[in-house]
This record gives sequence, structure tokens and C-alpha cells, in this order.
Amino acid sequence: MQTSAETYNDTVVRQFAIMTIVWGIVGMTVGVLIAAQLAWPVLNFDVPWLTFGRLRPLHTNAVIFAFGGSALFASSYYVVQRTCHVRLFGGPLIAFTFWGWQSVIVLAAITLPLGITTSKEYAELEWPIDILITVVWVSYAVVFFGTLVKRRIAHIYVANWFFGAFIIAVAMLHLVNSAAVPVSFWKSYSAYAGVQDAMVQWWYGHNAVGFFLTAGFLGMMYYFIPKQAGRPVYSYRLSVVHFWALVFTYIWAGPHHLHYTALPDWAQSLGMVFSLILLAPSWGGMINGIMTLSGAWEKLRTDPVLRLLIVSVSFYGMSTFEGPMMAIKTVNALSHYTDWTIGHVHSGALGWVALISLGTMYYLIPRLFNRELYSLKLVEVHFWTSTIGIVLYITAMWVSGIMQGLMWRAANADGTLTYSFVESVQAMHPFYIIRFAGGSLFLLGVLVMAYNLVKTIAGAQAAEAPIPAPAPAH
Amino acid sequence: MIVHVWGLLFNPAEEWQSIHEKKYDIGKLYLSLFVFLALIPPLSGYIGTTQIGWQIGLGEAVKLSHRSALAIAVLYYLAILIGIGGIGAMVHWMAKTYGSQQPLPQCVALAAFAGVPLLLVGIVQLYPVLWLNLLFGMAALGLNIRLLYLGVPVMMEIPPERGFLFASSILGLGLVALVAFLAGTAILWDFGLSPEFVR
Repeated sequence: MQTSAETYNDTVVRQFAIMTIVWGIVGMTVGVLIAAQLAWPVLNFDVPWLTFGRLRPLHTNAVIFAFGGSALFASSYYVVQRTCHVRLFGGPLIAFTFWGWQSVIVLAAITLPLGITTSKEYAELEWPIDILITVVWVSYAVVFFGTLVKRRIAHIYVANWFFGAFIIAVAMLHLVNSAAVPVSFWKSYSAYAGVQDAMVQWWYGHNAVGFFLTAGFLGMMYYFIPKQAGRPVYSYRLSVVHFWALVFTYIWAGPHHLHYTALPDWAQSLGMVFSLILLAPSWGGMINGIMTLSGAWEKLRTDPVLRLLIVSVSFYGMSTFEGPMMAIKTVNALSHYTDWTIGHVHSGALGWVALISLGTMYYLIPRLFNRELYSLKLVEVHFWTSTIGIVLYITAMWVSGIMQGLMWRAANADGTLTYSFVESVQAMHPFYIIRFAGGSLFLLGVLVMAYNLVKTIAGAQAAEAPIPAPAPAH
Repeated sequence: MIVHVWGLLFNPAEEWQSIHEKKYDIGKLYLSLFVFLALIPPLSGYIGTTQIGWQIGLGEAVKLSHRSALAIAVLYYLAILIGIGGIGAMVHWMAKTYGSQQPLPQCVALAAFAGVPLLLVGIVQLYPVLWLNLLFGMAALGLNIRLLYLGVPVMMEIPPERGFLFASSILGLGLVALVAFLAGTAILWDFGLSPEFVR
């Protein structure tokens, strides 16, 4: 075995990893604030840029694209180098993806509170920022696929398939959905009109969930869960089968966001059917994750990070079961526009996306600085606060969502509505307080984690990792 | 068998041991305890929603009609009894994965006794104010989960670390069952079985 003098490029991984934690705290703090605003509207302070309507897109953009995006950049750059045994391709483009992506986030944080928005959900940023996103994303693709091309291992590990699909699909979604006619520097109109616009938006919106928030994080799962557990993926064949099934099926499921709207009925039914089929590939991934972890049960006593990962995969299983259920038109008739949807989103976003990312950061950050994790006890604290936080959050939203749905549809014998809208708002109040408590607990867990990681890396030198020579079999 | 209920609340670790040793069969489990315990939530709910009702805003109390509340209570009762058996069966099905060889009745006993706090807390439905019920329910759920994690290694005869994984899988399964129950309820409502309100 000889080792080459070459090292991996971990500088960019370190930058993105640290920003993952920073943006996580920022995004979740805004989330807790707007949860509090729903419970106590006085917290809007009568200041336009602090109102719920402007901060809500800031929250979603910060947690999805800033927190989740940074975690994906960090993990994909780390994984593609390790599984290809080469240094990142792209020279100055690599640093550009970091600084470019951070600029996008800062621009979002400035424009959204000012009320500059396209009003497309999860694609609120105006056209000049969209162009910057495109340039950064193409650079990302060049770096990632360029690294794959010059790999020294013939086989492309399954995690890279997921990361690759995520990069390509997000590029396509972003370009199609953000097509717009600018009327001024900060104002544009969508290239599509009416129901076509709605359909393009939710084709984008649902696949932002499917590719940004699922495929990319499955890539993370397929590298970091086997690593943390210290054993191979339970079934590699299953991972490949569920990859193709997932990428094929997800792209059709968008219309379930538009049940009972002006969208043609056949399109709604098609979306519902594909959403139901989606259960199979999703659970293929869940079973693979759970079974990989299950073999490592002896390590549980010494490794609380494994617990975090188990909970994350469990929530992935739960929310990917809930999704197809809610896509059934009959169920959707009750659940749509209610808090049930918000609960569902957060069991996916907090339970799956955030926990798998945070688990990955527990693996990554100490290694990037050549240190041992400061405190396992604090990881345990984090595990409990976040788990209890999520459970409080989603149960509160289940109850309030179903109550809302029932109150809105309740009618008297003469056909008039039983409840006025404001009565349903009033009935939500206690649940909004419980949700606020759940969200605060989750944020508290992340703060504990940040403290733990700061203690871990304080005064540490950045570690240089040499690239090992590939085993002869390759 | 009722002594197990108090034991589980106050001294769960030892009580699981004693339940494990008794090796109840499914018939005895249901007939001598759980058909009665499972009555608590639906019966309380029936009385609460028809006699006391709940208030939204400043309006008068809203109640359910007797007919509608009875139908819900019966379905609720059946759902609990089937749910216990169903989760027991799923535990049995998963047991091999986690290196356990326990027979089906032990698995059903695990599912049934772990659920005791939730069945008991059903009594708060006598006063059907949702957020209050939710708070009590959450406390009971916490206890329920604790019982599950304590019970799995004992009842399934496996090491605690492996039990942690097994219990997590059961919990995940429980959440899935709950969501299926919610979706099923919503579908039933849409087919005309929606509750009738009286006010």
C-alpha cells in the first residue's frame, strides 16, 4: 500500500459544514419566532419586515436552502472525494460555489423581509438572484461530475447516484419554474399563466421535496450511516432498485398539491396514484437504512449519534407513509390547507432532513479538525430534546389540523356553516402554543449541539487527509 | 391480572419480569383484562361528548348526538382491541430480525401492557376539551414509550441495546398505524359517517 502525497480538498467541506450549523440556528430561530407570532400576534410588532407573511418565506428558504443546502454541499463534496479517491475537480469554481451560495442566502435574507418576492412557494427569490443561483448550481455540477469523471475507482458508489440525481433534477426544476419576464430589477412575472403556472409551481415544489430534501439526503444516508455503524449497506441491490424507482416516480406526484382546484381532474388522479406508488421506493430506502443500523446494535451503548440516525430514518419512514395517505383525494379534502400539512412537512423536515444532517455533522466536523467529539453526554441531551420537540410539534399539528378540517366543513341543517373562520382560529390557539414549545425544544437541541461542536474544534488545526491508493481490486 | 397495571405504573422494570414469567395466552389476556381496560377511552368519550360537550369561543357548548357518539365509541373500542392485537402481530413478525424467538402471545402481551397508560388516561375524555386531552395524552404517551423501551428487552429476551432498536421500530410502526388510523377516519367521514354536532 502506498499513499500519494495528494490530499483531499476539505477546506470547502469545513466551510459548508460550519455554515450548516450557523444557518440551522438562524433558520430555526426564525421558525420559532413565527410560530410564536401565530400564537401571539402581538409579536409582529406592527413592523412590516417583521410580519409573519415576510418572515415565513425567510424561514423556509433559510432552513431548506441555507441549512439543508450547506449540509448537502458539505456531504456531497466529502463523499465524492472519498468514494472516488481523488481531489475535487474545478479549481477556483470550488470556492466560488461556497461564496456564491452564501451570497444567495444573504440576498434572500435581505430581499424577503423587504417584501421582494415572486410569490412562488420555495422559489420566492427574484430573477437576478435566480440567475446567480443558476451560475452557482452549474459550477456545483461541474465540480461534482468533474470529480466523478476523474475518479480512480471504477464503480460509482450509490450515494453519488443520489447526489448526482439531486444536482441534475434541481437544475432542471429551477430553470423551468423560475422562467419569468422581468419588468424591473426587482420585479418579474412568471412565464406561465393560470393553472399551468400552478402546475409548474407544484411540479417544482414537490420535486424540491423529492430531490432537494430526499434524494440528496438519501445520498448522505448511504454514506454516513454505514460509516457511523461501521458496517456495509444492508442491501446494495435494494439501494440501486429504490434509486431508479424513486427518481422515476417522484417527478409525477406534484398534482396532489392541487386537489380540488382548477387543475383537470385526470391530472389530480394521476398525481394521487403516483404518490401512492411512491410509498414503495421510499420504504425501500427506509428499510435499507434501518437494517444497516440494526446490525450495529452493540455500538449503541457507546454511540448516541447512532440513536439520532435511527430516529431520523424512522421519521423518514413515517412521513413517507403519511404523504401518500394525505395525497388520497378523500383524505386531502379534509387535510388540505390545515395544520395537518404543516405537521407532515415538519415530521419530514425536522425528523428526517434535520436529524440526518445533524448526525452527519457529528460525524464530519470532529474528523475535519482531527479531534474527538467534546461530549457524548451532550449528544444524548440533544437526542432527547429534539425527539420530544418533534413529537410535540407533530401531535399538536395533527390535532389542530383535523379540528380545523372538521370545523371548516361542519354545516347546519339549513346548509349554513356551523363555525365562522375566526372561531376556528381561536380554537387553534392552545395547539400553536404547544407547537411553539416543540419547535423551541428542537432549537435548544441544535444550540446544545453547536456548543458541543465549538468545544470540539476550539483551537484545533484543520486536518489534512491524504488520499489513499485504491485497493488493487479496483 | 389487574395488579400488573399498578405495578407497571410504579415499578415497571420488575413488573415486566413478572408479566414475562406468567406467559399469558391471548384469550386470557383479552378476556380477563383488556376488553375492560379498552372500554375506558370510548366510554369516557361517549359520556364526555354527549353530556358535557366542549366550547368554542363564547358560544354555547357543542355536543355530539347520541347516535353519532355511539357509532364512534363502538368503532373506537374495536380499533383499540384490533390495534393491540395488530401491533402484537407486527412485533412477532419483526422479532426474528432482532434475534428474538418469542411466541405470538408474548408479543401481544408486550403491545397490550405497554399501552396501559394511554388506556387509563382515556378517562380525561370525560371532559372533552381537546388541548387539555392532548396534554394529558402526551404525558401518558411519554410513559407508554418508557414502558415500551423497558419492556422489549425483558419480554423479547434480548440485550438492552438491541431492545432499543427493536423498540424504536415498534414506535415507528405505532406512528404509521396512527397515521393510517387518521387517514381511515378522514375517509369514513367523507363517506357520510361524519359526526353529528348538537348545539
